[in-house]
Amino acid sequence: MHYKQSFSSRLFDVANYGFMILLVIVMVYPLMNVIAISLSSPDHIDLGDVGWFPKGFNTVGYEVILEKPNLYISYKNTIVYATAGTLLTLLMTSLMAYPLTIANFRLKKFITVFLAVTMFFGGGMIPTYMLMRSLHLLDTFWVMVVPGCIGAFNVFIYRSFFQNIPAELRESALMDGANDFTILFRIYLPLSKALLATFALFSIVAFWNEWFNALLYLKDESKYPLQMFLRSLIIEDSGASSQDIQKMVIGREVNPKNIQMAAIIVTLAPILCMYPFVQKYFVKGALVGSIKG
Amino acid sequence: MARSLMSQKYLYMMVLPGFLLVLIFSYFPMYGILIAFKDYSVAKGVWDSPWVGFKYFTQFWDNPMAIRTVKNTVLLGVYSLLWGFPAPIILALLFNELRSMKFKKFVQTVSYFPHFISTVIVVGMIKEFTSVDGLVNHITEFFGMEPINFLSESPYFRTIFISSGIWQGIGWGTILYLAALSNVDPTLYDVASIDGANRWEKMKHISLPSILPTTIILFILAVGGILGNDFTKVMLMYNPATYETADVIGTYVYREGLQGGRLEYATAVGLMLSVVAFCLIFITNKIARKFSDSSLW
Repeated sequence: MHYKQSFSSRLFDVANYGFMILLVIVMVYPLMNVIAISLSSPDHIDLGDVGWFPKGFNTVGYEVILEKPNLYISYKNTIVYATAGTLLTLLMTSLMAYPLTIANFRLKKFITVFLAVTMFFGGGMIPTYMLMRSLHLLDTFWVMVVPGCIGAFNVFIYRSFFQNIPAELRESALMDGANDFTILFRIYLPLSKALLATFALFSIVAFWNEWFNALLYLKDESKYPLQMFLRSLIIEDSGASSQDIQKMVIGREVNPKNIQMAAIIVTLAPILCMYPFVQKYFVKGALVGSIKG
Repeated sequence: MARSLMSQKYLYMMVLPGFLLVLIFSYFPMYGILIAFKDYSVAKGVWDSPWVGFKYFTQFWDNPMAIRTVKNTVLLGVYSLLWGFPAPIILALLFNELRSMKFKKFVQTVSYFPHFISTVIVVGMIKEFTSVDGLVNHITEFFGMEPINFLSESPYFRTIFISSGIWQGIGWGTILYLAALSNVDPTLYDVASIDGANRWEKMKHISLPSILPTTIILFILAVGGILGNDFTKVMLMYNPATYETADVIGTYVYREGLQGGRLEYATAVGLMLSVVAFCLIFITNKIARKFSDSSLW
């Protein structure tokens, strides 16, 4: 574009860049502030003058949080739920989507409608809770990974992705005596690595951030995922619950906010670390999801 | 026919587990909705419990505390749409005007990140910033106002909920618009400049029309979802002091049904919400169909 820039156009550019810098500050500051508070001295936190950087360096918040056995239990639970849940959802969704790509599959229409209905209608919170109760799924590992593993929308996205694979591949494999399971696992899935990787990422993040199903279906704290641990710490203010910690708070060694903000950072760290490397897959995934199945 | 059944047996085997899961976890709860019209007893089960007609529905409409949740749900949804829907469109148009691709990429990457932060953490941050000695009070004090604990004052609830929602979603929300903008043939802009169009005119006549179909589809979805506020975020943010403006149908169903044990009543309330929400998306789509080629089905 080699045309002369008008004054107003330049002014717009300056304003636009200024706005973008402001936007970056607004997006980054809360996170920086959380980090700063987690590492500041209790007195500065009480004064409320901690901004971008820690004041009066102090790591007691992290020491306290890293000594809580519940942190490790819930961390482990989240990792287990995320791994099992993600593998299960990839498997189930693929199994469901593959037959829908086969032109003469006799249940194609029925299954499509059967799934599509669930995109518009559902039982709602209470009937679903009652179902879990009558299936004796409350307070089990299963309730966290099985019920949500298959979603109509995802099946349709997988289906349209599978439809890009030439049907001749399947036909010649059938000719060679392969059955559909072999075709799905040896041909279709290896060709769909990008799709599976993207959905795996989304699923892992969803499990990492999930807390509401746990609130509904779990009473047993030893099964709580990470976000439930965090919730009791920062939303319900249970940070200074034990006597040892209360002593430390009174002795000005630590501020409850040190502990809470440290807990946020410990929870967020894995996402923060992997985000720069995988964000382009997330963007791709968001676009795949928008193409209607 | 028997042969075709045999030849497709693997396909049936593949579909079976998913079919059962959807049947159990999506369809069975729909059957469970029946208890909204019954006096449910665990011993008798859903079917044999006695019918009571619309008893629980009338109970809802006779209770001013309950009606408040309708008002709150609608207002929170309408305001969220009003403020939250245009925000990513404007941001996407501004992104599109950036000349440095590197800088654009950087700002985009940063602005997407809040989308991946869990609601629990976001509310934890909100709590910190709106506390009496938090950031927001430092700013208002600068203007000579008294410090307030914002999260326990009901007039501020919607503002906090919606503005933090924009912080979470504005960047991520640009993705679909940016995809539409990247499909515009760049020579179109060049030709327009040769014809003497300025940037504002190019934005108005090239960029805006190119994102219009996306905007319509997303608007349909947004209107359909207007009653489906993220009540889990409300649940983390509210407290009895802010019920006045914060208590929405979702949180009310949770409190009455699961904490209060009024399963039939809560199911009835939830059912009314889903029916209205479904009608909304249906009607908006009808309208969109009439005025454009873009619609959901």
